[in-house]
Amino acid sequence: MLARVANNLFWMGRYIERSEHIARYLNVNYFSSLDASNTLSQSRQFVLRSMLFLVGEKIEDPNTILNEEEVLYKIGLNPDSPHSILNNIKNARENANSARDLISTELYESLNKFYHFSLNYPVDTFVKNGLYDFTTNITEMSSVLRGKIRDTLLHDEVYAIIMMGMNIERATQITRIINSKYNDALKAQMDCGQELGKSFEWTTLLKCTESYDMMRRFYKKTPTSISTLEFLILNPKCPRSVMSSLNQVYHHILLLDTNKYYNKSSTAFLVGKVRCEYQYKHIEEIEGDIKAFIENILESLNQVSIKMEKEFFNY
Amino acid sequence: MSNIENGTFSSYLRNPSLFDEIYDENGSIKMVYQKLFDHFGSHTVKDFVQLNNKAKASFFNQGITFQVYGENETKEKIFPFDLFPRIIDAKEWDIIERGSIQRSKALNLFLWDIYHEKKIIKQGIVPMELISSSNNYLHQMIDLDPPGGIYNHISGTDIIKHSDGKFYVLEDNIRCPSGVSYVISNRTALKRALFGVFNHYLTYTVTDYAENLLDLLESVKPKGVDNPVCVVITPGMYNSAFFEHSYLAKSMGIELVQGSDLFVENDFVYMKTIRGPIKVDVIYRRIDDLFLDPLEFKPDSALGVPGLFAAYLKGNVTLANAPGTGVADDKAVYTYMPEIIKYYLDEEPILNNVKTYHCSRPEELKYVLDHIEELVIKPVDEAGGYGISIGNTLTASEIEKVKAQIKETPRKYVAQPILSLSVHPTYIEQSESFEQRHIDLRTFTVLGKDKEFVLKGGLTRVALKKGNLIVNSSQGGGSKDTWVLKN
Repeated sequence: MLARVANNLFWMGRYIERSEHIARYLNVNYFSSLDASNTLSQSRQFVLRSMLFLVGEKIEDPNTILNEEEVLYKIGLNPDSPHSILNNIKNARENANSARDLISTELYESLNKFYHFSLNYPVDTFVKNGLYDFTTNITEMSSVLRGKIRDTLLHDEVYAIIMMGMNIERATQITRIINSKYNDALKAQMDCGQELGKSFEWTTLLKCTESYDMMRRFYKKTPTSISTLEFLILNPKCPRSVMSSLNQVYHHILLLDTNKYYNKSSTAFLVGKVRCEYQYKHIEEIEGDIKAFIENILESLNQVSIKMEKEFFNY
Repeated sequence: MSNIENGTFSSYLRNPSLFDEIYDENGSIKMVYQKLFDHFGSHTVKDFVQLNNKAKASFFNQGITFQVYGENETKEKIFPFDLFPRIIDAKEWDIIERGSIQRSKALNLFLWDIYHEKKIIKQGIVPMELISSSNNYLHQMIDLDPPGGIYNHISGTDIIKHSDGKFYVLEDNIRCPSGVSYVISNRTALKRALFGVFNHYLTYTVTDYAENLLDLLESVKPKGVDNPVCVVITPGMYNSAFFEHSYLAKSMGIELVQGSDLFVENDFVYMKTIRGPIKVDVIYRRIDDLFLDPLEFKPDSALGVPGLFAAYLKGNVTLANAPGTGVADDKAVYTYMPEIIKYYLDEEPILNNVKTYHCSRPEELKYVLDHIEELVIKPVDEAGGYGISIGNTLTASEIEKVKAQIKETPRKYVAQPILSLSVHPTYIEQSESFEQRHIDLRTFTVLGKDKEFVLKGGLTRVALKKGNLIVNSSQGGGSKDTWVLKN
């Protein structure tokens, strides 16, 4: 496979995954805030800030008044804002286009439909009353894409590259979502004195990652900070967890790197090392300093991405 | 004439002075079209509106689109597709197929000759100016023996049927002829929209093009290579034919590369893969000669590969088509095709040539200037239907303008009598009915070492504007699925 095309496929995977997480975050936060248990979590300004925080736009000034329609447009359908869902899908498709000879017709057709759907979605409807419809469609269509990736591509290096992209992105987005909701929980604690460990935001966090039902089955208890973080970071059985994503990354890098000998400068080595670090961590270690954990994992994922670029995409 | 009573076609306006492909000389529906005609008759106008939309959606979802560059945003458009297929019976096809092969072979021998001994010129069959004044004659190719002795591996021949019912070749395309992917996607779209009609006909498949093309590419591998690595090279995803490039690479199962994916070291070509460099042996190139190698041709071209031509000269890589073929699909060379065929193959041309006047010859120039109203004026070195003037559609002042242009650079122009391309019922969106429109046919011929193949189908292009004779997609043309029937 061409190095350039591998790079395109890697990013196609990342962008598909990214658009889905952003869409779900908008959806869940907005709708769970409507009947939240405290006034801060119910506040629209609080929710809009949280949405912007996720896409990397932290609003520091507490006096700024955000306009709901503007914020939704910016994150959803604004073709000029680089992080909008629309642009993520556009990027996914651009990347697929240049690798069109390698991916299946079925996958390409679905991605193409996905793109036309978001491109043609009426902006006015979206910002006024289409948030639920649009974001639900985005998450469902990304599931279709995941299905097409799994079921219509040969499970060879093309597949491995896409899966690496998706899983690195998943681990990244899950960590960012944790960060964002952790930030919200801290605010709720300061503002209404809500106990951090039992904050309403942990439930929202689980719903944002489609893990609430899985979590209830596993713990059979109301989510707390410890159980939520343990589940989303360390539980390898939860397909959305950081641990599970790292396992997937490791599994797929081995399809690319068939070298059986120890090579400490390879991506496979680095991925293995990062994975082991989390495999043998326990939640108490993380809980003490969530901020450090978040910075650490994001940095590790970034290192993996850089290493991949050097080893495979260098052209 | 009961066989032409038909709901769908009751309002079909038939101009008797045009050659309509679906009627015979008595004004009855031709046998081969009868079943199709009946089948269409059982549909209502509403059905066709729906079917037409279905076919269009099929192209959009498959992403078979081309880019139209606008002021603010580039838009995606589909190449218009017509629901009524064109049928070619076995007898007619035999003429087309043999004729296409004959021309491709003759052109190949001509190319070999003009890049080697130039016998045809020395013997005075064609004039020296044909080469000396052509921008497309590459001196770099002189005395070079391309692998397998093949220059024009892939040829596209544009053929029309005149009102006399005979086939004429309008143009040979032996640089990078495009359109073959539309043959295949037209078939897919028609199957999705109107699968019922296929039950009544024994039609040749068109999906075997890719395997024949790959066989060809492997047959012209460089010396000393066992299992050649073949690739398709494209100018990139913003090229209007990118869909075709990716389709061909995908259906042959080989890599689609851009110039930046390749590099040359010690006169060998390599592609940059995730496992390091891999040597490339055969390149099906879809970029023009002048962009192939910035060291040899256009120095500012970013599309090509520095050093590629040197590798080609050493025989370490095959380019298909070979560089320098453009000299032979020049409209001036076209006029000598009957002589060229006779000279190299000692055969009579199977497909007719259109009488052509060279404006470079004083006596013919005079005739052209005096008879512009009856002629089509074509620039010799433009493709895509650009720069063509059709005499009987020009106003007096336009005629004067064309005359001035010709007088300024006579070598640049040739003229031909206005041919009446045959017409075919075509679904017209605006009127929601079938109307007569002019059509042509592009055949795709693959020429390899001891191998030749013509895709049984070809691209029928249709001029969607009423009365228009120019079928090129860049001039508002569409296309039809084309069925070649088995005996």
